[in-house]
Amino acid sequence: MTRRRPLDFLFRGLVWAAGIIGMALPMWIVGFLVIRGAGKLSWSFLVDHPRGYPPGTEGGILPAMLGSAALILVGLVIAVPLGVGGGLYLAEFCPSKRLQSYARAGVEALAGVPSILYGLFGYACFVVFLRMGISLLAGGLVLGLVMLPILLITSQEAFAAVAAQFREATLSLGTDRASWIFWVLLPKARARILSGLVLAVGHAVGSAAPVLFTASVYFRKGGLHLDQPVMTLPTHLYFLVSEAISFDHAFATALVLVIGLSIFNGAAMVLRHQMRDS
Amino acid sequence: MTDGHPVSSLSGRDRMLKYLAQAALWGTLTVLGLMVVFLLKETGLFQGLLPTRDLLRVGAPWSPLATPPSFGLGHAWVGSFLVTGISLALAVPLGIGIGIFAAELAPPAVARILQPALELLAGIPAVVYGFFGYVTFVKWYADWSGRPTGESLLAAGLVLAIMILPFIASTSAEALRTVYQDYREAALGLGVTEGCLFRRIVLIKALPGLAAAVALGLARALGETLAVLMLSGNTAAMPTGLLSRGQPLTALLLTELGETAAGTPKYRMLFSAACLLLLAVLALNLVILALKRRFLEHLHD
Repeated sequence: MTRRRPLDFLFRGLVWAAGIIGMALPMWIVGFLVIRGAGKLSWSFLVDHPRGYPPGTEGGILPAMLGSAALILVGLVIAVPLGVGGGLYLAEFCPSKRLQSYARAGVEALAGVPSILYGLFGYACFVVFLRMGISLLAGGLVLGLVMLPILLITSQEAFAAVAAQFREATLSLGTDRASWIFWVLLPKARARILSGLVLAVGHAVGSAAPVLFTASVYFRKGGLHLDQPVMTLPTHLYFLVSEAISFDHAFATALVLVIGLSIFNGAAMVLRHQMRDS
Repeated sequence: MTDGHPVSSLSGRDRMLKYLAQAALWGTLTVLGLMVVFLLKETGLFQGLLPTRDLLRVGAPWSPLATPPSFGLGHAWVGSFLVTGISLALAVPLGIGIGIFAAELAPPAVARILQPALELLAGIPAVVYGFFGYVTFVKWYADWSGRPTGESLLAAGLVLAIMILPFIASTSAEALRTVYQDYREAALGLGVTEGCLFRRIVLIKALPGLAAAVALGLARALGETLAVLMLSGNTAAMPTGLLSRGQPLTALLLTELGETAAGTPKYRMLFSAACLLLLAVLALNLVILALKRRFLEHLHD
């Protein structure tokens, strides 16, 4: 024992160090962005268009925020019905355990596919093959595909987590499945599904690789149209940095992205807590 | 799920709902399957045009504009290998360390900070990581070395390590926590010391779970694009060391796709490389699934 004690001590020290690094890293990154970016952040930065020459050196990021939001909305139109419906089928109606486990494995494997491959598919299929061009529609569809596997998995889990006694009780009253699903299952699973949705959207908002060659351009004037390209927050940041346009604005844009996503993910965390309580 | 619930008792409304849900599932599987088929189709595989020879000529340079053009991807594979290697070398020990900390040593108050801190780290988008690396590691190296720019494979690997850290940490914490819960009382009751419990039981029982964590980190690192693109220097030359510039495969895909006409040999080459990446990631995902299953099965042997 006496020989082992220093080693145990060392081991504990190393593990504590790892834990402290784990907590320090995000604080360092976020703190760094806040310190360098907060001064450049202002109300007008959020509600103004990019100005100056080249555009982005002055003005704001309003069209990029709107573009990102529009892409997500288009994506959700695809991802929500397919994902929640598919999850419902797997959890409620699926006749065979085998289909269930194969479908789950397939969807889970695809959830891990890097987002650039979704982008490549979107470019080849939507932009070129279906002649949508680089457009809000093509990019929205791609982001819908990025969100779909996550949504399907989380909604299946949400449905499966609703306790069996609710189902027994409800169905034994002689109600049909549809009433059980609409009046009990969906309301009970809602918080979990929403938290999965928030995670999927947060993931999609931040990913630039799939929209870089399916939806986004560096600068664009005019409103949002399905067949026109858009500006997005992550690609705006990418262009600001890679073309060395404005590091001040890059800091502010990065900060907007991180704060926005933190609020979003925080909402998911609150939802999960609510679930635990109810 | 339907074991105790005969499907024959469905009303008309029920049946419609069931078909809608079924359509959604098949729609999902079709769309996702279509994606894989489409990526394969673009390589020219179905027309017998798969650029097998170019894929094997890894020693050739990447110079698509030369006459005749040369499509060697060796530099990209080496770049991906180095960047992924650096990130795993850093993130695996640190991530498993954090996992042990979270599962065993962290006082509850600290664990309550650690969890959201890791989630925050996992939620930061790749492009922000790329930017962060650009204004820290890349800038420092440029200042220190006196070069005009400081991009390097090392910078990309460092930032990538931070990016995959939360995934490795939370997956390994989960595995370790499961084992601890099941064995701690029994082992400590038998008079086994904490250190011995950890080395002889927990580490061994959790090994498949920890391996799954590493595989997850590897899959993430292989496919990461934006940060790697912004930090590696994006130069189509064979890297000469960790501090040289390079172009990992994902960076090459993102750089070249926009300037490539569909159906050309270069286009087929890019999609072939993408399909190899897809295969690698899908295989890794299956490995992760198998490891997780094995972890749960062997928990109580």
